[in-house]
Amino acid sequence: FQVNHPGDFSLSPIKPKLNVLSVMSPAGCSHVNGYKVDNWKQNLRVIYQCFVWSGTAETRRRKAKSCICHMCGAHLNRLHSCLYCVFFGCFTKKHIHEHAKNKRHNLAIDLLYGGIYCFVCQDYIYDKDMEQIAKEEQRKAWKLQGTPLLFLRIGEKYTTWEPTKRELELLRHNPKRRKITTNCTIGLRGLINLGNTCFMNCIVQALTHTPLLRDFFLSDRHKCEMQSNSCLVCEMSQLFQEFYSGHRSPHIPFRLLHLVWTHARHLAGYEQQDAHEFLIAALDVLHRHCKGDDNGKKANNPNHCNCIIDQIFTGGLQSDVTCQVCHGVSTTIDPFWDISLDLPGSSTPFWPLSPGGDGSTVNGESHLSGSTTLTDCLRRFTRPEHLGSSAKIKCGGCHSYQESTKQLTMKKLPIVACFHLKRFEHSAKLRRKITTYVSFPLELDMTPFMASSKESRMNGQYQQTVDVLNNDNKYSLFAVVNHQGTLESGHYTSFIRQHKDQWFKCDDAIITKASIKDVLDSEG
Amino acid sequence: MSKDSQMRAAINQKLIEMGERERLKELLRAKLVECGWKDQLKAHCKDVIKEKGLEHVTVEDLVTDVTPKGRALVPDSVKKELLQRIRAFLAQHATL
Repeated sequence: FQVNHPGDFSLSPIKPKLNVLSVMSPAGCSHVNGYKVDNWKQNLRVIYQCFVWSGTAETRRRKAKSCICHMCGAHLNRLHSCLYCVFFGCFTKKHIHEHAKNKRHNLAIDLLYGGIYCFVCQDYIYDKDMEQIAKEEQRKAWKLQGTPLLFLRIGEKYTTWEPTKRELELLRHNPKRRKITTNCTIGLRGLINLGNTCFMNCIVQALTHTPLLRDFFLSDRHKCEMQSNSCLVCEMSQLFQEFYSGHRSPHIPFRLLHLVWTHARHLAGYEQQDAHEFLIAALDVLHRHCKGDDNGKKANNPNHCNCIIDQIFTGGLQSDVTCQVCHGVSTTIDPFWDISLDLPGSSTPFWPLSPGGDGSTVNGESHLSGSTTLTDCLRRFTRPEHLGSSAKIKCGGCHSYQESTKQLTMKKLPIVACFHLKRFEHSAKLRRKITTYVSFPLELDMTPFMASSKESRMNGQYQQTVDVLNNDNKYSLFAVVNHQGTLESGHYTSFIRQHKDQWFKCDDAIITKASIKDVLDSEG
Repeated sequence: MSKDSQMRAAINQKLIEMGERERLKELLRAKLVECGWKDQLKAHCKDVIKEKGLEHVTVEDLVTDVTPKGRALVPDSVKKELLQRIRAFLAQHATL
């Protein structure tokens, strides 16, 4: 039994209110028949466009001026418009009711929410045709407004779920419901280690606990266009079904492993692999399979892809190369799925963070006896770097090779940011694991690392007023992957977050409750 | 109309004209979902429906029962933020 709606597990579908007096379709009432004559559809559309969901500046102006109660002049009090004539009246003060009685106009529309009220039935009614018009007009208005807040990053405005006939049937035949309480452990499931596959298990745990990804798959949003059975996205979908099935026994991800081996040859084999490499390979295959086999072209151009992987994980990294002679800047923006950060202790020097670096603490991390923080790593990542005389860049302004500095900043932040601490050093001289402790916070503000912040700093606005209310660049930690042991023999485990503040440790098949301290003390 | 309600009406008009009212509504909607307010009230609505019975409950029943609770449960931080936005907007477009 596939659960289609991720949110509401506990309520059986509410049938639309069955009106005692109605003879027609269960959702409406017969009193609309008097209205549904002549050009009623167009009239209704006009009412929606002008007075309910005004999309254009002109309709907004008209709405602002005319939407007041004809009896008392107030604009509050649940203003309604009569459907039969031009009359606006308060609902709360019953002005619209008076009008309905006097003129025998039995239908009115709520100007706030667009609902149709029938004075005979004395309730809001849901006529199928009228609902259809309402939906269309609402969509039109949203499109016209186009403000970013109206659309979730996923690209669709939230609408409530309306079950189809088939879905209602399924729900009736499967009456068992699961209630999501704060203690319930649904979504948590161990994964059997199939032979050094802990690197895969950790990433799978992190992915199955990525809320947006979970919601995407549990709402059946993947439409498979692949002929064969080797679609990784379908397998992912199946995986989510397994995780949210409520089974407590560990899952054996043999099909997933096989598909990954098929599509990412470099990861095949039973030796221990790199979890980070697996993450990137998995995202890559999922991204490719999301588009199906036809859109091969689109899959290669990350800038034009609209698949769920890109929507969630893809960010834009800006690289500015400044010529030291003419100070001309050459900018490129590249997509990224993760940020790989160098650590102190590697062969490349870590400190100082930048020429004349500042010692401020961001994100409330304390430098406990000089320990490195994630923010330190990010500051180093975004520092201006002199490229040196051996790496001169051809400057478009000077038309010759000149020394330059390069700086990386975030142009566009992904919804889910993955930070990879480069603990495995594979240089020509040595292969080793860097175990330097790096502290990381529960909440991370990426504002200082944005390209826009850099521009403000360059324009002399040093003291940026911290917009505490602006949450756009703020992140909340939800998964940590850890490696214990050495480069040759080690073991991966992960911590994942459930229900906002409950953490669990995933060690292959064993899931145990963890404290926030456990998570933050871990290596990362 | 009193001076107060006149001012309210004028502000409201300006907000609608500039499309700010819709933006504020969406901001409020997002905030109320984030802080769990929507879920709380949804649960309360279900209780009312169970109490009154699915066949007999009207929207009016729900509105009467849920409105006071809804108003009381809005977190202060959300109210503060909305007020701040409205003030900022009025400061920018102050010809009132």
